[in-house]
Amino acid sequence: MACFLQKLLVAFKRPALAIVLMPAQTPAIEPDVSPATIDYLREVAPIFKARCLECHGKTSQESGLRLDRHDRAMLGGDNGRVIMPNDATNSELIRRITSVDTDKRMPPETSPLKAEDINLLVQWIDQGATGSSDSSGEPLQHWAFQPIRRPAVPEVHDDHWVQNPIDHFVLDSLEQRGITPSPVAVRTTLIRRLYLDLLGLPPEWNRVQQFIQDDCPDAWERLVDELLASPHYGERWGRHWLDLARYADSSGYEADTPREIWPYRDWVINALNRDIPFDQFVVEQIAGDLLHNATSDQRIATGFHCNAMLDPGVRWESIVERVNTTGTVFLGLTLGCAQCHSHKTDPVSHREYYQLYAFFNEASITSFERPEVDGIQAGPQISLVMKQSPQSTHIFRRGDPAQPGQPVQPAVPAAFNWAPALTHSDHQTRHDLAKWLTSPKNPLTARVTVNRIWQRYFGLGLVDTENDFGTQTPSPSHPKLLDWLALDFQASGWTLKRLHRLIATSQTYRQSSQVRADLTELDPHNRWLARQCRLRLEAEIIRDVTLSSSGLLSRKIGGPSVFPPQPDGILDNRATPATWTVSRGEDQYRRGMYTWIWRLTPHPHSTVFNGPDNVTACTRRDRSNVSVQALTLLNDPSFLQCAQYLGHHCSQNNGQDDPLTVRALFATCLSRRPSRKELMILLRLLNAQRTELLPVEARGITGRNTGDLIDEAAWVVICRAIMNTDEFITRE
Amino acid sequence: MSLAPAALSSLLDQEAQATGNFPDTVRTHHVPRAKSVIFLHMIGGPSQIDLFDPKPEVNRRSGEPLPESLLKQLSFAQIQEKRPQLMGSPWKFRQHGESETPVSELMPHFASIVDQVSLVRTVRTDNTNHMFAELMLHTGWQRFGRPSVGSWVVYGLGCESQQLPAFMVLRSGMRPRSKASNYSNGFLPSRFQGTPLQTVGDPILHLTSPAGFTQTRQKQTVDAVNALNQLRFDLTGDDEITGRIASYEMAFRMQSAATEWLDLSEETAGTLRLYGIDDTDHPSYARNCLLARRLVERGVRFAQLFHGDWDHHTNLEVGLPAQCKATDQATAALVTDLSRRGLLEDTLVIWGGELGRGPVAQKGNKPAVAAGRDHQIEAFAMWFAGGGVRPGQTIGQTNDLGCLPVTDPWQIHDVHATLLHLLGMNHTQLTYRFQGRDFRLTDVHGHVKTDLFT
Repeated sequence: MACFLQKLLVAFKRPALAIVLMPAQTPAIEPDVSPATIDYLREVAPIFKARCLECHGKTSQESGLRLDRHDRAMLGGDNGRVIMPNDATNSELIRRITSVDTDKRMPPETSPLKAEDINLLVQWIDQGATGSSDSSGEPLQHWAFQPIRRPAVPEVHDDHWVQNPIDHFVLDSLEQRGITPSPVAVRTTLIRRLYLDLLGLPPEWNRVQQFIQDDCPDAWERLVDELLASPHYGERWGRHWLDLARYADSSGYEADTPREIWPYRDWVINALNRDIPFDQFVVEQIAGDLLHNATSDQRIATGFHCNAMLDPGVRWESIVERVNTTGTVFLGLTLGCAQCHSHKTDPVSHREYYQLYAFFNEASITSFERPEVDGIQAGPQISLVMKQSPQSTHIFRRGDPAQPGQPVQPAVPAAFNWAPALTHSDHQTRHDLAKWLTSPKNPLTARVTVNRIWQRYFGLGLVDTENDFGTQTPSPSHPKLLDWLALDFQASGWTLKRLHRLIATSQTYRQSSQVRADLTELDPHNRWLARQCRLRLEAEIIRDVTLSSSGLLSRKIGGPSVFPPQPDGILDNRATPATWTVSRGEDQYRRGMYTWIWRLTPHPHSTVFNGPDNVTACTRRDRSNVSVQALTLLNDPSFLQCAQYLGHHCSQNNGQDDPLTVRALFATCLSRRPSRKELMILLRLLNAQRTELLPVEARGITGRNTGDLIDEAAWVVICRAIMNTDEFITRE
Repeated sequence: MSLAPAALSSLLDQEAQATGNFPDTVRTHHVPRAKSVIFLHMIGGPSQIDLFDPKPEVNRRSGEPLPESLLKQLSFAQIQEKRPQLMGSPWKFRQHGESETPVSELMPHFASIVDQVSLVRTVRTDNTNHMFAELMLHTGWQRFGRPSVGSWVVYGLGCESQQLPAFMVLRSGMRPRSKASNYSNGFLPSRFQGTPLQTVGDPILHLTSPAGFTQTRQKQTVDAVNALNQLRFDLTGDDEITGRIASYEMAFRMQSAATEWLDLSEETAGTLRLYGIDDTDHPSYARNCLLARRLVERGVRFAQLFHGDWDHHTNLEVGLPAQCKATDQATAALVTDLSRRGLLEDTLVIWGGELGRGPVAQKGNKPAVAAGRDHQIEAFAMWFAGGGVRPGQTIGQTNDLGCLPVTDPWQIHDVHATLLHLLGMNHTQLTYRFQGRDFRLTDVHGHVKTDLFT
């Protein structure tokens, strides 16, 4: 009791007066006198409403306490729980409404509660303080917090159209709305779409032709399997994951010093290529260091949270960031709201925020050198990893670390305690947190993950707020499909490749992306999926596609980050100077995901094409459409170099047949044959160049000094034009 | 030679075609007094007590310890001494103009325009750390992730120029600590982001065509690209392609329009002298001021200038005069130049730092280093001119020691609310829904300070 009083006094910053908890003039507490069950909604809620909600209601939450909803009342306030079920005597709420100290008594500065009301509250608490069964609208009734249940796959009329269960759900909702789906896209579009989605690289023309001519009914399935087996799959989907991991090669903040953490990036690529189960993928990243006999790889996996920015001397900011990223990435919850006060809409209290904080507060970041295996490794591999290091954690009152409140232990929010008995020890660790995140009973991780993957294929998730599944989030467009996918994902052992295969082999995915006039009013955002959609490629993929089409791309996977050319002045006036020594040889032509990321001064190609800010988890990238992008694709020397390289080959191999060469160029760059009109536009441009080019201009355009450069320069102009089309940087 | 089909040409000729760069939605709530803003951010925190807010009492008591009662109320960033000593200003003040505004001898040019400005001496902010104070000044929030003032303004007013981006960022000297977050679109669509100019090389990245690509050839290429895009649009019906066509046309126009904008050879020698520009090829604060005038002339909505460093913790007597010398003439010239061209009446000019400096000495860390002043967030000066601002007045009084407001405390949110008001927008109604919540530049704060314009 002494300890409790002390906490109370600290918490309320009041002079240490003796508090008489059960004054004589309050009514005697005799719960046995009235055995009738107290009804929360009918009897308790009205008392709260009349006397408490002005300060502890929806609009105002003094001390973080909110009594207008049962679940929130049970969570308590900044200083802990105020209602202890079955124990009214030890419930702070009862203590406060019965206190004789007028500085303490609630409600303040007015008459105390009536004796019968106090009695009623005491009885209610002693009976277990339960809410009413019909108290709908409470957070735990929210769809995303409900257990995932396997929905029945609906019957559809047009069963020729459907390929797999995904199509049943999609077609069912279309049929209910009287909408017909779109036809399958043409094969050239299909194969390019799949290559870009699964590998982030365009198909080579001979593979396109092979696919076009493949009459076997399983041609598409074989193509999907072939690409899922490609090592570039891990790069493509690894980069998506790195967006969530806010991966960068420097610390951020003012100092922005370099970091060794690329082995984590390579770990992600390899893990995805090996298709390690997603639950394991998560556990290793959150707590790989705490696993029994942790391997080097498992320790490197903890780089996930080492990616948080670090302002030297402000460690708590990095930890807050880890909590918030964990919420966004795995749970789809905006936990950050609870940093300063209990969450206004989701069942996470201010105190529970710091219980989550405690998991990460008990970890430190250290450098780890991977031991060489049989001398195979070339050079040392050092990476930032997590290490357990005990620390005590206190609540930051109002989010201010200068105002430490009560101490807290690592724990998950009570409302989400779907996996009971997390640990046998009394002190939980990140390993417990990771197991909680990936528990089959956790309905959020699978839903959030499946939804985010879906979003990559269709531009929009089934839940369009992919980073917020909280109580304010409306139901998904296809709730049953989301649950079916989430459950299938869990039940199949969390294999991502199976999920990708399901989506990619669906008829829904293979539809044409042509805009349909009949849908523009009916479904402007394409939520009902009666067609595919065109998506502008991400910053890195624009680079990859350009390099790949020109023939310059290095397909080397992994290794230290590289420094392709960038414009002058990007690194000027940094507080801590940074260098950019342009890489030599093939490292100049590596995929965009390997470009070194100075957090505060990223390569401008990334910023121009909506790359992530590398500060917090990025769950969805913008797809802006602005003129500085056009200036980059037209005038950036790195892009021109690709056109020069390709133009040189066109000129060398032309053999007097311009249309043939243009067709080949089209096939290389856009994976299809040009129409007659397209051919004509390019041939006219080509011939105009041949007539108008001056030798000095040709030298500039080709970047060469010798030989007859007019023809080559004309071809460079053509290549540059094709590489500037909207189609070139779009997944159709 | 034009490769574009007739339909395409006519499409491109429609100057009003609002796509990509120029959102057409106007969200004004009343008649605007200003239509553009030039925001001169003096990074680091200029010492208002040596420039705009003379304190004879500090001069008189120079060397005495700061009274204990005040010590508790101030937040220092670096001073660790138990009893820091008052330090009088080494510079003389004189009253200027009909408004008789006192101005330090360090700013003779500003002294000549005092009758055109409203000087506010009691602005306060919430954090002594530059990075967070910058974010507060530019986004109204002390952490990363919120849209900047310029983005909100363009979101609210749309864009006037068809040739240049609506929100441009020019910098001389140090980079602001919060970098691009100071002109970020935050959660607003990315087209509202500020376009930062490079300080070396091309001011706009890749504005220059590669060697051999003459303007004709570039146009031929853009026309061919857009003709191909148009065919793809005909087939797919995707509006993004229309946007792409417009952005390529804009890019092509920008190559000449921005080149024209950046070409200062048409400015008279008199104008260059007014700003103090000796060499128009040399990047400088003065050149940026002139470029800012040329931006608002060309319909750009928001020109954000950064200049630093004003963070004079030590060596105040050397550092402060140097910064004044680098900026005073050009700043005054900008106001004068806008005024004589009739642009000042609808251009709001704002001058200020993210925080100010205190009345006590911060001693050098070595004996040889002279003293300076530490941060002060409780009261510092900003000034406003044009765009409906009442000229020739001083708002706000600080105490005898210049460290606390006595009248008219202004929060940064008030600055934002008032700025939006002058641009015709109600700060409580300019909202954007993000993650289920309607966000505002002023969050749940901000009062329109009518003193500024009535």
